[in-house]
Parts: sequence; structure tokens; C-alpha cells
Amino acid sequence: MERTPKGYTSNFVEAGLKLFIQSHRNMALRELASLEKYLGLKKPNKYSTQGDKKVPVLQNNNAPPLVGLVTIACHLVKEAKRPELLGDGAEGRAVVQQWLEYRVTKLDSHIEDTKSILKDLNLYMQDKVYLAGNQLTLADVLMYYGIHSIILDLAVQEKEQYMNVARWFDHIQHHPGVRHHLPPVVVLRNRLYTSRHH
Amino acid sequence: MGFGDLKSTSGLKVLNNFLSDRSYIEGFVPSQADVAVFEVLSAPPTADLCHALRWYNHIKSYQSQKNRCDQRFVAVSLPGVKRPLGQYGPAGVADATSGSAPAASKDDDDDDIDLFGSDEEEDAEATKLKEQRLAEYAAKKAKKPALIAKSSLLLDVKPWDDETDMAKLEECVRSIEMDGLVGTDILEEKITAFEDFVQSMDVAAFNKI
Repeated sequence: MERTPKGYTSNFVEAGLKLFIQSHRNMALRELASLEKYLGLKKPNKYSTQGDKKVPVLQNNNAPPLVGLVTIACHLVKEAKRPELLGDGAEGRAVVQQWLEYRVTKLDSHIEDTKSILKDLNLYMQDKVYLAGNQLTLADVLMYYGIHSIILDLAVQEKEQYMNVARWFDHIQHHPGVRHHLPPVVVLRNRLYTSRHH
Repeated sequence: MGFGDLKSTSGLKVLNNFLSDRSYIEGFVPSQADVAVFEVLSAPPTADLCHALRWYNHIKSYQSQKNRCDQRFVAVSLPGVKRPLGQYGPAGVADATSGSAPAASKDDDDDDIDLFGSDEEEDAEATKLKEQRLAEYAAKKAKKPALIAKSSLLLDVKPWDDETDMAKLEECVRSIEMDGLVGTDILEEKITAFEDFVQSMDVAAFNKI
């Protein structure tokens, strides 16, 4: 009796899919853990999740629990006493919030087509080094986490087509202390790391 | 290497092209490399050189701002050491700078002034930089012999709260004089001893010069 290769394949595929879904569901938790490291928070928080989408939840002593990646991330920034990460001045803070919202409503939701996200971001970044102001903010960090898989899958020509996005992405992934759970991506010429595609 | 003549359009175009996929002249944090190039430009790049202009405006923002409300950082200087212009930029460009011998960088003590610092007023701008990555980066780029006598120390001193008098805080920190500092623990002790002003101190960067 022949053991068909098909039998092996479907098992592997199923296992792979399960792993993918699990890790995808926990991506928000991994992001929060990375953020804690960036912020230098000594004691990692214990998160739970709720709902089908496994939205992260943080118990908050006697106060109502904090729900959602952005809400918790902003809370962590305040806990770490790094208010500048939420923006500089009223306008800066508004821009940061705008991008945090963009991350959840446009990136994560998969409502927008990838090309149009890249096109918008590329135009936006033409005259900017960071998403908001002249310093790294939470907007850069969460957008970096969120857009990573898109950048990882870009072909070389596409990275050159969206040069400003590529430049910003390379900068953020190299920013001291930011990259923890995500593999480095080769973005542009003469960079050190290897990407998924060879 | 070098950018050619940065006072001319051709040099600026080289700079613009070089910066199309880079945020900084060297590496991924602002450094003396950016200062070195910035100083040569007589005016902001024109709008058609959008990458050079973006970089220029960003580096300009590291000038101390008198009215910044969040003045949490006491900068010693942007990290690194200024080298002759001909040592930066893309390979394969003719170096049009004069006196570009490496020996020009040997007496760096006087050159290593914060470009945007001011003698009178508090210079409160710096990027928050992590120690390990900068030490690695500086070690890679350094062309100095093994015996290292000078280091650049970037301290992040957190004020007690948002009503702390920053001028007084700086005064306290600057009052500390230590000869031949070998480790940062004593320095940390001394700084955090100013309990009314200082909440904590971190060494944000510690580079050998």
C-alpha cells in the first residue's frame, strides 16, 4: 500500500495554517510585549483576550479594563512616563492619534487595498522623517509593526517605487530598541539583513 | 566618497540622491556626520531636491528651542566625531574638498562642540539613543588606535516632575566634575543625589571617541 504524498501534504498544510492563525491572533500580544521592551518597562503585563478577534485586554486594578491594541499601547507609554511618544504639542498629538487610528481602521481591517495604502504613505513621507514631528512616536512603532508583513512581501521594484515608505521603514526597524519580535527586512541597497525572498 | 562640491548644484544633486533612501548621512541616528554636512550648506536645498530638503529640515530641528515645554534631555553632543567631508557619501564620487587627509581629524577636542549648542543657554535637545547599538556603531566606524582616552556620554536625566526648574536641574548636573571617570555608577549616584530635581538618570549613549 502506497503512502501518498498527499496525506503528508494536507497534514503539514493544516498544521501550518493552525500555527499561522494562532500566531496571527496573538500578534497584538506580541506587539505589546515588544512595546514593553522598547519602553523599558521592567515588569511585563499579563494580558487576556476577548472575542473572536482575540482583542487584547489589560486589567487595570480597580478601574475598568483597557481593551484594544491602541488603547493599551497608549496606556503603556504613559506608564513608562514617555509622553513625548504620543506627540509634541496639540498638533503633534493629533497626528499621532490619526496614525494610530489608521493602523487599526485601514491596515488591520484589510479594507484598503495594499497598493493604495503604500501610495498614500509614500506621498505623505516625501518630506518627513517620522510620521509625526521630528522624533520617533508610538505612531511610527505601531505602523511599523502593522505594515511589516506588507513590506516583507514587496518585490525590489516595488520597494523602489515606494521609496519614501521603504526609507521610513528601514529607519524605524533600525531605530535603537524598536525591533524585537519581527524579523529584519532587506529594504534597499547595501543593507545588512536578508529578506524572505532571495 | 564625498559629495563633490556641496556649494554647487551638482554636489547638492549627489547629496539628494544619496539621501533618497536614507534618513541620515551615516547609520540610523543623527550624528556628527550630519552636522559635518549640514555646516557646509549655505542655504536650505531647493524644493526640487526634496530628499536633501527633508534631511535638512530634520537636522535643523535639533537646534535648541527656547520655548520647548518638554525639555527632558541634556545633550552632550550628537554622537560620533566629525570627519572630513570627503569621507561621507556615496562611493565613486570625486572628493572635491580641500585638505581631506585623515590627519585633519586628529585634534577633535575643539571640533566636537554641539553645533546647535549655545554657551549661555541650556541646550536641551537630543535624540533618545540606546547604549548598546551606538557603542556597536561607534566601534565599527571608529578609525582611532586601540588606546582610547576620550568618550562621549549622553545622559538622560529625568526631572522630578513637570514643574521642575530645568535650568536648576542643568546647573546641578553641570556642577558635577569628575576626573578620569571609569564607570557610570558614581556619576549616577551623584546626579540622583539631587533628589529634589532629579527623578532618575540613564546613560543613553556612551561612545568612545
